Amino acid sequence: MQLLWQILVNGVLLGGLYALMALGLVLVWGVLNIVNLAHGALIMLGAYACYYLFTGLGWDPFAALPVAMVLLFCLGYVIQRYVLNLVIRGPMFNTLLITFGLEVVITYVAQIAFSADFRTVNPSYAGANFNFFGATVPLARLLAFGIALGLTFGLWLFLEHTRIGRAIRATAQNLIAARLYGVNPRHLYALTFGIGAALAGAAGTLYGVVSQINPYIGSGLTGKSFAIAIIGGLDKSIYVLVGGLFLGIVEAMTALYIGPTYTDVVSFGILVLVLIVRPTGLLGRTA
Amino acid sequence: MDDILEVRSLTKRFQGLLAIDHVSFALQRNEILGLIGPNGAGKTTMISLISGTLEPSEGEVIFEGASIRRLPAYRRGRLGIARTFQVMRPFPDLTVLDNVAVGALFGATGHSQVLQDARERAQRWLEFVGLDRRAQQRAESLGGPDRKRLELAKALAMRPKVLLLDEVMAGLNHVEIEEVITVIKKVRDQGISILVIEHVMKAIQSLSDRLLVLRNGEKIAEGRPQEVLSNEQVIAAYLGTKRHE
Amino acid sequence: MKFSTKLALAGIGIALLASVPWWDSPVLVQFGINVLILATLAQSWNIIGGYTGYPSFGNSVFYGLGGYGVAIAMVQYGLPFPVGLAIGISLAVGFAILLGLPVLRLRGHYFAIATLGLAEVMTAIVSNLEIAGRNVGLILPLVKGDALFFELSLILLVVTTLAVMWISRSRFGFGLIAIRENEQAAAVMGVNTTLYKILAFALCSVFAAVAGGIHAYWITYLDPGSAFDVALNVKMIIMAVFGGPGTIFGPVLGAFVLSAISEILAAKVTSLASIFFGIVIVAAIVFMPRGFADLVRRFRQSGWRYFQENIRTYRV
Repeated sequence: MQLLWQILVNGVLLGGLYALMALGLVLVWGVLNIVNLAHGALIMLGAYACYYLFTGLGWDPFAALPVAMVLLFCLGYVIQRYVLNLVIRGPMFNTLLITFGLEVVITYVAQIAFSADFRTVNPSYAGANFNFFGATVPLARLLAFGIALGLTFGLWLFLEHTRIGRAIRATAQNLIAARLYGVNPRHLYALTFGIGAALAGAAGTLYGVVSQINPYIGSGLTGKSFAIAIIGGLDKSIYVLVGGLFLGIVEAMTALYIGPTYTDVVSFGILVLVLIVRPTGLLGRTA
Repeated sequence: MDDILEVRSLTKRFQGLLAIDHVSFALQRNEILGLIGPNGAGKTTMISLISGTLEPSEGEVIFEGASIRRLPAYRRGRLGIARTFQVMRPFPDLTVLDNVAVGALFGATGHSQVLQDARERAQRWLEFVGLDRRAQQRAESLGGPDRKRLELAKALAMRPKVLLLDEVMAGLNHVEIEEVITVIKKVRDQGISILVIEHVMKAIQSLSDRLLVLRNGEKIAEGRPQEVLSNEQVIAAYLGTKRHE
Repeated sequence: MKFSTKLALAGIGIALLASVPWWDSPVLVQFGINVLILATLAQSWNIIGGYTGYPSFGNSVFYGLGGYGVAIAMVQYGLPFPVGLAIGISLAVGFAILLGLPVLRLRGHYFAIATLGLAEVMTAIVSNLEIAGRNVGLILPLVKGDALFFELSLILLVVTTLAVMWISRSRFGFGLIAIRENEQAAAVMGVNTTLYKILAFALCSVFAAVAGGIHAYWITYLDPGSAFDVALNVKMIIMAVFGGPGTIFGPVLGAFVLSAISEILAAKVTSLASIFFGIVIVAAIVFMPRGFADLVRRFRQSGWRYFQENIRTYRV
């Protein structure tokens, strides 16, 4: 029983991070109709940004997080504005392929720049734990969870209650409506992708704190993000919380009851099942 | 009175919206039945239910005496039910000729299995609708009226027994409408029974043997054009719509 | 270019290729085998992605099943290679039919993601199977002579291309193209879309499986990562799309050209090759989204404006 509780806690903590990972993907998918295969690579870059700020400048990873977000935002903005905007009105398949191309470029540039070694970010409190009703909760993970939740709600607030946020949501419906908001659509698209990239960067920073990183983690993280996004449902960004928590808990359970090597089987198996049975996700409405 | 197609108490619901409400009627052999009604009456839905594109919530569709309700769309096409789409659906990257050839290849049984043969038949149908000059053009490049001709040729190439036409005259001028009426009558003369949805009143009047009127998914009148068009309910249905415009 | 001319050129090309093992360059032969296998994969993808319009991101599963069919048959049961191939093919076709049924009901990008998910699931499942050697993999019996594998791969590519050629001029192929262009219209016109999609999927699984089997036997080592290499998926798609999807020779051309350039760069700096690959993909989608074949066709009319027009059509 004790063990089950611990697993549950682990799963929830992981789930929060998962939700943040998928958040940027869902935003870009929902608004721009771009299925971003480079999403995981952006997460990877965020992790490395944090790593270098930590080892190079001695910054605490949680302080480095906003900086990583800003850096990734700029990168994302540029990518959308000067590359993706050129193909966005074409068949969706094209954006799929072009983002794959970007993924390859980013991954191998990173390999050259950062070398292929595994890295970790080890802040001084890495070993600190505390007790939550009998379950051990690592401080780092708890902080990560908190920030993940905070950013998820932050995005929701932004989209619902700010003028730019509403303009972004309008763009999802209708390009002409977006123009009515008085914002240049090219800029709006680039902003959206930039925000998505920034969120990926945040996820990357937190990921770097709880797990090892190398330049190749991108594609696996993209796959995972897809699973989370689809399981939760694409209708609203907030649904990633459901997808993330669900997957986090399921993976934690799988690791315990079936075996740690089976977590991928279960994650992707659920993804396929959801697509077959209920493509709109656990919460979504009919597409 | 030989009914080739019969619809019994056909009903279609979309998540709470009742699109077709227990409608029954029959299409007789070799007749041209006009289907009219204000916008949103459910005319295209009715055609989709008959062609198999949509599944009914209740009711029956009977073709040549046998129920086809459980048959998927492609089977109905092979049995001899062909339709055109209001929002036209050509195969954009194929030539006009090949678009029609698909119909010849896959339509009612007894059709050609060989590509060459299908293309020859397609050529003849293109001549019939007046598109033969454009046979080698990509379907995407056709203008409005030509697209309508293409839709018709594709359906005819299937050698159907029943033809369901969905607003083939929208956007055409008087001359073109006359041409279409002539073509449709020629098609009927070949032994094909036709159900026509149309908004162009004069055309549907001169074309149809009988008229069927739908409003809000219900049948409100059926019979000879003169009777139907002087029916009070029918007039109210149309005037009612006009007041909104 | 007339078709008979193309055919003649292809014939010369095949004869030329068949002679490569005797050119006294082992490196070239090895490179050649890889290219031929990639070209086969691109061509097999062409069937489901190019002609039918269902972009599968999971053909690596068939490749992997073919490889493991051969490996398990030969290593665990001592069966000969052809039997291993047959087993691999059966596994692949079985998978295509069983999982094709639910997954082919999905539209466009959802189908792509579902197949990608399947690819990941299979990789994960196989890494847990005892009979497949788990994560460690299997080691196959050694057969000396790259020339043999080269010719086998060449024959496979030719057969696959012949199949595509047959498709392009058959009623079946017409049905596939109709499905790609407008599935609802195709159904209403009498095309049994479900059956045809599954057949196309199964057909491409056969060729991908044989490619996987040959490859496994050639490198004599198989592990889940390399057998079900998910990156292969995008490689074969890029090659097919770059060369021209829905054409007979496009994917082959795409495979040859892209591999050649990639190899030249790899000689300089290994990572550079991959980066180049990525940039080519991006540039190709921006400037020639309909592939090389379309470029050749339209360039005559529009000249350099062809590229401009593409951007103008698809940009915001």
